[in-house]
Amino acid sequence: MSNKDDTLNGGDRRDFLKGLALGSAALGAAGAGLFGVDPKTGSIGPSSAMAAGNIKMAFIQWQPHTVSSAWSKGMEEVLKTQQTVDYRLLDGQNKVEVQVSLMDTLINEGAAVIFLQPIDSVALAPSIAKAKRSGISVITLNIDATEAHAAHVEMNHYYGAMDIAKAFGDKLGGKGDVAILNAPPGIIIRDQRTNGFLDGLKKYHPAIKVVADQSADWSRKKAQDVITTLLAANPNLAGVYGVNDSMALGAVDVAKAKGLTGKLVIFGNDGEKDALESIEAGELTGTQYTDVYQQGRFAAAAATVLASGLVPATAFKQQGKLLMPYVIATKETVGTIQPSQRW
Amino acid sequence: MTARSAAFALLAFFVATFIFFCVAAPRFATASNMENLMSGFSFVAILAIGQSFPILLRGIDLSVGAIVALAGMIVFDLELIFHLPGWLILPIALVAATLAGALNGWLVVKLKLQPFIATLATLAAYRGLVYSISGRQLVPGLSTTPIRDPWITGLETYFDFGSLLGISDWVTLPWVPLSFFIMLVVLAAFHFLLGSTRFGRSLYTVGGNPEAARLAGIDTARVTLAGYAVSGFCAGLAAILLVARLTTATEALGTGMEMSAIAAAVIGGVSLSGGIGSVVGPVIGAFLLGTILIGLTLLGISQYVQQILTGAILVAAVGYDRILDLRRRRRLVANLAEETHA
Repeated sequence: MSNKDDTLNGGDRRDFLKGLALGSAALGAAGAGLFGVDPKTGSIGPSSAMAAGNIKMAFIQWQPHTVSSAWSKGMEEVLKTQQTVDYRLLDGQNKVEVQVSLMDTLINEGAAVIFLQPIDSVALAPSIAKAKRSGISVITLNIDATEAHAAHVEMNHYYGAMDIAKAFGDKLGGKGDVAILNAPPGIIIRDQRTNGFLDGLKKYHPAIKVVADQSADWSRKKAQDVITTLLAANPNLAGVYGVNDSMALGAVDVAKAKGLTGKLVIFGNDGEKDALESIEAGELTGTQYTDVYQQGRFAAAAATVLASGLVPATAFKQQGKLLMPYVIATKETVGTIQPSQRW
Repeated sequence: MTARSAAFALLAFFVATFIFFCVAAPRFATASNMENLMSGFSFVAILAIGQSFPILLRGIDLSVGAIVALAGMIVFDLELIFHLPGWLILPIALVAATLAGALNGWLVVKLKLQPFIATLATLAAYRGLVYSISGRQLVPGLSTTPIRDPWITGLETYFDFGSLLGISDWVTLPWVPLSFFIMLVVLAAFHFLLGSTRFGRSLYTVGGNPEAARLAGIDTARVTLAGYAVSGFCAGLAAILLVARLTTATEALGTGMEMSAIAAAVIGGVSLSGGIGSVVGPVIGAFLLGTILIGLTLLGISQYVQQILTGAILVAAVGYDRILDLRRRRRLVANLAEETHA
């Protein structure tokens, strides 16, 4: 039996063998399942047969962060319940080559599904292609990859930012000078959120003028410095949009110090605990809140359905996509976010 | 213990670790895992070979990670902004990296800066330069454009010896990545350079005793400059292999890689007190680190524990190096005492 061709390129090798293995596993599983109802789950079909050997799933995060650990918590909740899945969290250490090496390891282990928060959309694409060749479904979170894969589950960056622009303009009364505290270039999220905000202003509040768009490196400290300079240069500044909460909270710090609380309209994005508390305290005007535990649960739900349904990675005609529901949290709406939903 | 027996001890430790994981870790002893080890750590081995040169000269090169990013970004820009052909881009990137290394050497030789300080400064400077020339930021849309030049992506090629030898029906051999062979060529070349040329002998002498080297008429400045240039060259080569693997370069590429390179070199028996060591040890050191990282991941051990363990191994290696050094000094003193008595 030979499954290798004569080309020297890594390409399609072993697909055939893997395909055979997967196929026979599927047949075996289906065969075993067809004969009865699982006494524990009551389900009929392949899922009952999978209890024989647990399937593996893993999440490769960017680096330790509140968002990714909340995702992981949500995933674990769902996957543990299935009783048939071994789940673990792996850390990319903020290094693309570490994420690539972890992908390789998981592919070698024969994981069923890999959840991935890619550090870079292009750099992880070859690894995703390799996983796909091995029949492994990859589900990305928040940052999409240029190689098509099973599914992408993201915070609703673009449309959420449009809604922020609407609420933002309403608070400003439809006019005034605003500044954007932005992320450094080169990250898709930055473009999605910035474009959503600008398009939202154009649509709902065309009289509002963006007078500054500066990078504050996602950081609260850096945002304080940037906003101080911006206020000096633009004394008429009426509003600030931080593309994440940390930068918006940096602007809140400066507003507090300069006695501008309540006068300067400040919006963030993400909806982390600190931001929600700041809204309740009447400092931050608002933010786009996403339940990231839920985001993890949704990703895990999709993965479970794919794996228990024995849907191979090659079965997708195109990449699936799921946008997360969100709330534009302001003083009026923040109370609807339950303590157990805060992260 | 002589340098040679220390090398054998390292090799024995590597083999023991390898066998341990083959037995203990699920799916460690598989062809695809061997591929992962070779493709994931050949560039670390190349960095470790380069790092050996400054360390042999009693110095250190902290800037290799930043040089990796610089060379990577040069490839990125020349390919995606200037659309130069790959066969031209690769040598340009290598020359730039070598020059970046030579500048480190110049700072050490001409400005008499401590190597630690000089390369810490260039670490920051080169990284800043990467951000300022980054095509990902200068041209919108490039950050999601992969590099497709066959000269570059062709470096991420695998050789199927199983089929070539016609034995793939009986055993599954790992497909060997081209990067592994490039690493072997670099290893052979620099091993020859160190062991069999006048430059190599001069380098050991300068590292072991710079004053004696100067008195012996060795151009210590030139040797030192060349040593740092070698480190830069190796960083450039590692960058090219990484870009081929990732099909892009990022500004943060290579962050923290100096740690892996220094750890591999020191674990590989290159003495921090200079003048002692080879380039074979660092290569084994790099694959030892890789074996441990992959093995522990397959065993399901937390990566935070892995990082602690890597640190512990490094401390052990440095401590061992220190003991050897003290022993050598004591022997030297004893020899001198004997001579004066006689």
